[in-house]
Amino acid sequence: MRFLSVKYSSLSRVANAAVALTLAACAAVHHTPARLQPLVTADQPAPRMLAKEVVLTLDTGYTRTLKAGSRWRVAGTVDQGDVYRPVGNVFTLEGANIHEAWLVVRNGTLVGFYLPAEHGYSPLGATAPLQLTNP
Amino acid sequence: MKLHHAVMPLFALVLAGCAASGPKFAQQEASTPKLGADKGRIYFYRTDSMMGGALRPQVMLDGASVGKSQPGGYFYVDAAPGSHEAVTSTEATNKVSFALDKGEVKYVRTKVSMGLMVGHVIPELVGADEAQKELATLSYTGAEKD
Repeated sequence: MRFLSVKYSSLSRVANAAVALTLAACAAVHHTPARLQPLVTADQPAPRMLAKEVVLTLDTGYTRTLKAGSRWRVAGTVDQGDVYRPVGNVFTLEGANIHEAWLVVRNGTLVGFYLPAEHGYSPLGATAPLQLTNP
Repeated sequence: MKLHHAVMPLFALVLAGCAASGPKFAQQEASTPKLGADKGRIYFYRTDSMMGGALRPQVMLDGASVGKSQPGGYFYVDAAPGSHEAVTSTEATNKVSFALDKGEVKYVRTKVSMGLMVGHVIPELVGADEAQKELATLSYTGAEKD
């Protein structure tokens, strides 16, 4: 009987973890409408390079890594900060669905994401310092 | 005749039946029309894997069927610039949303993951470098929508 209860307890923990994971995976990426003011210049701005790797934990429970050396080009601004889109790569947020996302940076800190398909802004709960350098 | 001698060719036949057939990427690209100036291009593909080989859901782009997710297969769609949503459904519906610019090429990989009763086929955006490496071994299935 004791064996059964131990086994049940382990099973219960696994089931709880699975349920928690499923719920996290089902959490939607929350966003509010945002208007991107595109950068207006004659020449495309040079991409900037991320100096150090940044590991982000999203509010949906997923993690995302911004690789050191990845290149980002300023696309414009939203009310929350400057918007950077990846160069030669893609970046996405994952929740119940997957959304293309661009970085929103204010005073050297990643504060959230601009979702270009939704024209929305999704704030990052745990903001992260971000060092973008000119190559 | 040993049993495994009989089973192995059958197994190989089943596997061969699972993978998409058609011209390989390099061969097909030679005859692929150039992208129009006012459009973007979206490649949809699925790497060849035994997992969920029988799952071949339709790929919907902005509500319209544009092809099927098949192991080892790829196809492309030229679309107007703007917001797009790609959807695949088995027991669950999975979506990826993205923006497409004029002249831009985007890559959507569909991958199979575990489901409750049936596997899920999930569309995800992939960077150009990674996608082009994976596409090299895949077969064009653009004409197969049904």
